[in-house]
Formats: sequence, structure tokens, C-alpha cells
Amino acid sequence: MSAVTTARTALASVRPKGRISPWWIMIGIAAVLFLLAVLQLVTGADDLASSGTLRATLIASVPIALAGLGGLWSERAGIVNIGLEGMMILGTFGAGYFGFHYGAWAGVLGAAALGAVGGLIHAVATVSFGVDHIISGVAINIIALGATQYLAAQAFSGLPGGGATQSPTLGDVQTITVPGLSDLLGDIEGSNIFFVSEIAAFLRAFVTDLSLLVVLAIVLFVLTFYLLWRTAFGLRLRSCGESPVAAESLGVNVYRYKFIAVLTSGALAGLGGGFLALVASSTYRDGQTGGRGYIGLAAMIFGNWRPGGLLAGSGLFGYTETLGLRRGGESVHALLLLIAVLLVIIAIWQWRRLQHLAAGISATIALGAAVWYFATDSVPGDFTRMTPYVTTLLVLALASQRLRMPAADGLRYRRGSAG
Amino acid sequence: MRRMTKTAALLTAAAFALTSCGGNDEGGNGGGGGDDGGPTSDVKVGMAYDVGGRGDQSFNDAAAKGMDDAAEEFGMETQESEAADGEPESAREERLRTFAEAGFDPIVAVGFAYSASVAKVAAEYPEVHFAIIDDEAAAADNIANLVFAEEQGSFLVGAAAALKTEADHIGFVGGVETPLIKKFEAGYVAGAKAVTPNIKVDITYLTQPPDFSGFGDPAKGKTAAQGMYDGGADIVYQAAGGSGGGVFEAATEAKMKAIGVDSDQYETADASVKEVIMTSMLKRVDVAVLEYLTEVDGGNFPSGVERYDLAVDGVGYSTSGGFVDDITGDLDEFKQQIIDGEITVPTE
Repeated sequence: MSAVTTARTALASVRPKGRISPWWIMIGIAAVLFLLAVLQLVTGADDLASSGTLRATLIASVPIALAGLGGLWSERAGIVNIGLEGMMILGTFGAGYFGFHYGAWAGVLGAAALGAVGGLIHAVATVSFGVDHIISGVAINIIALGATQYLAAQAFSGLPGGGATQSPTLGDVQTITVPGLSDLLGDIEGSNIFFVSEIAAFLRAFVTDLSLLVVLAIVLFVLTFYLLWRTAFGLRLRSCGESPVAAESLGVNVYRYKFIAVLTSGALAGLGGGFLALVASSTYRDGQTGGRGYIGLAAMIFGNWRPGGLLAGSGLFGYTETLGLRRGGESVHALLLLIAVLLVIIAIWQWRRLQHLAAGISATIALGAAVWYFATDSVPGDFTRMTPYVTTLLVLALASQRLRMPAADGLRYRRGSAG
Repeated sequence: MRRMTKTAALLTAAAFALTSCGGNDEGGNGGGGGDDGGPTSDVKVGMAYDVGGRGDQSFNDAAAKGMDDAAEEFGMETQESEAADGEPESAREERLRTFAEAGFDPIVAVGFAYSASVAKVAAEYPEVHFAIIDDEAAAADNIANLVFAEEQGSFLVGAAAALKTEADHIGFVGGVETPLIKKFEAGYVAGAKAVTPNIKVDITYLTQPPDFSGFGDPAKGKTAAQGMYDGGADIVYQAAGGSGGGVFEAATEAKMKAIGVDSDQYETADASVKEVIMTSMLKRVDVAVLEYLTEVDGGNFPSGVERYDLAVDGVGYSTSGGFVDDITGDLDEFKQQIIDGEITVPTE
């Protein structure tokens, strides 16, 4: 045990520099809002930072973020979890079934519980039986889809408003609106003062009809960070993902930690599915996850297997998706200008670091975006729907060299292999 | 270890059983009538549903109703089978072949997804008669194409929206940008502009083919509609299948109005969102199926394109809730003009 403690202190002393403090997060958010305010002023696209957009972003980001958080737990313990999508699907059904019969909060618990069942299957397959993680994950996605379709047909057929493919309307969990503040901020937002309106819109998104499940999701992020990076439990769990052999030699029960991690992973992904059914819409619907589990996985990689980065990735994805769905043509058109400017800056930076080829590519894309922006008035629908994916690709392409996944992630581990 | 392997094998088997159950839930609703001295018929109808199947409260349910009505009226034997999400072309072909082999004639395929498979299987079984809903591409002597003039019905609800809007700003949410859904959009916009030429119409499609998730993602439907209401629109028409519920929710939260699609959604929607459904564009798939089976009962198998439009009440608008009672005069005038050919509604 003392060895682990020593390792912990050792790790603490070599923490990467520039750790993000709450202040930096606030400054970052303010910087993004400032950028959007400038963009709104320059392009006249006024839906970029409205409180409606930001609230919808919050709703669109949370399911992705929760799935990603599930992926984070699992992969930090060395188990690749491509079954997140399936666990989310199980979660949507759990929310539909328990939410309809016993109320919204029972639906939340049901979603997490059914997601955890998916996690349990994945854990048994990968940890106990040493099945390839990808194969098990894909199998779970297929089984979850079939199982929920079957169960939904049994559970919801013939109910008023329900059918084989959808549940009756589900009750919502409570929302919070801070009475005076919401209206006050609404007035400030409406006054159209540069940057002040955007700040007000951002704050307003958090004090108007804020679902308690969003609050719960934020709490889960903080809790995850604390548990995994600030406790001995977390260090042991992460050691299973970095070097299970070393962990075992220090007396860590690797199987148990992997089981805990993958079960938690399933519960979180299930919760993400439950959020989709209870908050983002008000019904279980066949196929409503629409690949968000995979996006969550991508957001986690994007975030370098860390909660903060994952949150930023989900936010970026949720934001671009929301923009595309709301006033897509106009808003995405404005984004083109932003992309052009950012890429010019990146190109200059790359040029100064003597990465001439990369700089050339960035500059070319920047030019293309600029030409597109000035030559047109709006972006056609085919492209607005692609925005989240293109953005993710772009950012991943620029950031991927700096990513590091847990060292033993995806590797098969057998008890006793430490010798 | 051996016991573990056994358990694993068992688990796998159970999993397979579960998936196959979910994928293909044979209805077996056989023998609609003909038991207690009712009418009897030798006709055996096979119905192959699109994804969603019986119970989707929309398209498939309407087809099912048409078949049920026919079964009751003529005592036909019926059998049904439904598609799984994302299944391959071969699965649809096999479903049709299974019906043909088992002696079902006619076989009704619900939805344009069956276009290629109906064309192929109909050629393999020239003696068997097929009907396909919403598709004209599969053409043969033994195929009847039951299609609808969605643009005409959409024209009427578009006119209704333009007559009712107070902001001269309305919206349209399409599920997936397919040629079929574009017909809804085209008719809606034309109808609105017929009333108010400079009306502003926001248009959003949730996904692009081949991503068909836009028909089953209420969260996206809600976001899109919220964007329109926030932007000043006060009535939104949805042709988005299962995503449409999200549009109704957004309308409820924004205290605005929405327009339903396919069936009278005022009757089927949850009580909490009912009041926002101003009207629905009706597409009478049940009427088309019943009429087709009526012909079949008379010993005549129609083939070729049969278009259900305003003239035969194959499409229309609903009045439940009484929100459009004051403008039915105007709408019926438009309807008559379309039937008389004075107005030609564009389809794209």
C-alpha cells in the first residue's frame, strides 16, 4: 500500500505544467464569447450566441458528454468501449420504461441501470473472458439495438400514444429558472450591447429552464475528475489502464477495478441515453441515439482522455450541430469567416515553426473558406448538417499529434501475467 | 474454464435469439375474419412493413388499418412482417420471396425502401401480384404503384399556415432530404406564397441521405423548431416521422403552433402537446390500401401508377381541434382550384 502512496506522490510531482484552473476555464469561455460577439458584429448573423442557441447547445452536448465520460472511465482502466452506443440505446429504453411507469427520476435510475447491464456484459466479455474489446463492443451495439426493439414492442404496444417504436410521452425532470435573474439577463441580451449581450445570453442559458439532469451531468464531471485524479482509488484505476502488470505486482486487484470502471462506463452512457429520452425529447424512440455514442467516443479522444478536454469536445460538437439545425445557412456561413481567420493564424504559427508544408495546407484551406464566405450569402443544407463532423475532423487533424491514450488501453490482460 | 466457455456459449446463443426476435417480429395477425360466419375469401394478403411497422402511429399504421378494414370487409387472410432498421437489401427481398413462396397474392410493400426489391422479386414471380406504396420506380405488369399527391395536401396546410400566421413568418422541418419529403416542402411553400407572396419560410432538414436517422430523432426536431420559433416564425409544419414529436414539444414550450403530417396527429398526440397542432396534412394510405384490396376482391389486379390526390380525397387536411374552422372556406376554394387544374402545385 505504501508503494502506491509513494507512486502517487511521485506522479503528483510530475504533473504536467499549465494545469487548468477554474480561472482559466472562465477566461476561455469569455474569449470564445468575445470571438462570437465579434463574428456576430462583422457578419450580422445574430443566432451565433443567442441564449436559445446556447441552451440548445447545452441540451445537445450533455448526451455526448455523458457517453464520452463513460468512455473515459472505461478506457482509463484499459478497456476500449466502442459499445457506448449500445449502452446509450439501453439507457433510452430504461428511461422510457421506468420513466413512463414510475416517473422521471425512476427513468433516470432505469437508464443508468440498463446502461450498466450493457457495461456488465462488456466487462464479463473483455475482463473475465479476454474477448477482443472491439468485437465485444460491436456485439453489444447490435444486441442492444435488437433487444430494445423487442422489449419496446412488448412494453409500449397498445399504450395510449405509444407503439412498437416509441413510448408514450414521458414526464420531464424538474427544471430551474431563477425568477428575476432570467428576465433581467433577457433584457440585457435584448439590448444588443457588444459582448455584454453575449455574456448575458450565456448566463441566461444557465438560469432559464435548466434541467436538473444537466446539473447532475456537471456534478458527475467534477466527481469523475476528483475520483480519478485526486484519490488513491482513481490512481489504482488508472494504473490498470497504464500498466496492469505493474498494478498487479503492487497488489491492486486489476479485475475488480476494470469491472468497476466498465460498469460505471455503462451507467454513464445509459444516463446519456436517458437524457436524450427524458430531457432532449420526451419520449423513447427507436434509433433516437443516432450515433451519439460514437461521437462521445470521438469527443473523449479529442479531449485527450481527460474530463476537461472531453467537455470542450462535446461542447464544440453540440454547438456546431445546434447551429446547423437552427438557422444553419446563415450561422454556418458566418463560421466560415472564423475558420478562415483561425487557419491564417495557425498557418503563420506553423510557418514560423518551419512546418512549411502544413502551413501551406492551412493557408490554402483558409483561402478556400474565405472565398466561399465572400462569394455566397448562405451555406446550403447539405453542408450545414456536416458542420459538426467537419469541425471535429479539422480539430482532430490539428491536435492529434499531441494526444496520448492510456498505455495499456485495448490490450488483453490476464490475471497472473505479472509472473 | 470449461464451465465458463459453456456459459459464454449460452450467453451468445441467448443474445442471438434476442436480436433475431427484435429484428423480425412476425405479426401473425392471420385470419382477419371469416370465422364467425362473416364473409370469406380465398385471397391471402401479405404485407411487408417499412421500419417501424405496425404501431408507429403514422405511415405503417395507416397501411395496417387499410388491410384490417379489407380483411374485415372481405374476409381475406392476412399476414405481416416488418423491416429492421438498417437491414440490407437482401433481407427485404427475402421477406417478399417468403410471402410469394407461401402463396400470398397480392403482396403489399409499404414504403419506397422496397422499390428495388419489389422490382426484382416481381420479376422472379410473374404470377404473383405486388403493390408498393410511395414508389413509382418499380414498374412491371404485376406491380401496382400506390402514390400520393403529397404536394397538394401540403399546399393546403401551407395556405392555412399563411392565413393563420401573425408574423408572416413560418417554418418547415423535414426529416431527411429525400425527393419524397421535398414534395411536402414544395407544396407547403407554394401554398403559403399563394396566400402571402412575400411570406418568409424557414426550411430545415434534420439529416441528409443516406443518414435516415432524421426520421427518428425527436431531439433534433425540437432543436430545429426552437430555432425557427426563436427566429420569429409562429407556425411550423413537420414532415419528419418520429422526429415530429420534438417539433410539437418546441411549439408547446414556445406557445406557438405546429402542423402535423400523414395522419390526424391531433388525435394521436399526447394531451400535453395536442393543443398546438393546428391541423395535419392527411395522407390516406389506409384508403389507398383498402381501395386496392377492394379491386383485388373483385378479381381484378390493378397495375401501374395509381395516384391518390385531392380529387379522390387521397390527401387533405384535418380540422380536429377546431383551429382552422374559420378558414375552411378559403382552403376548400384552393382545393377546388387544384382539382379543377387552375392551380398546378409544384413537386420540387
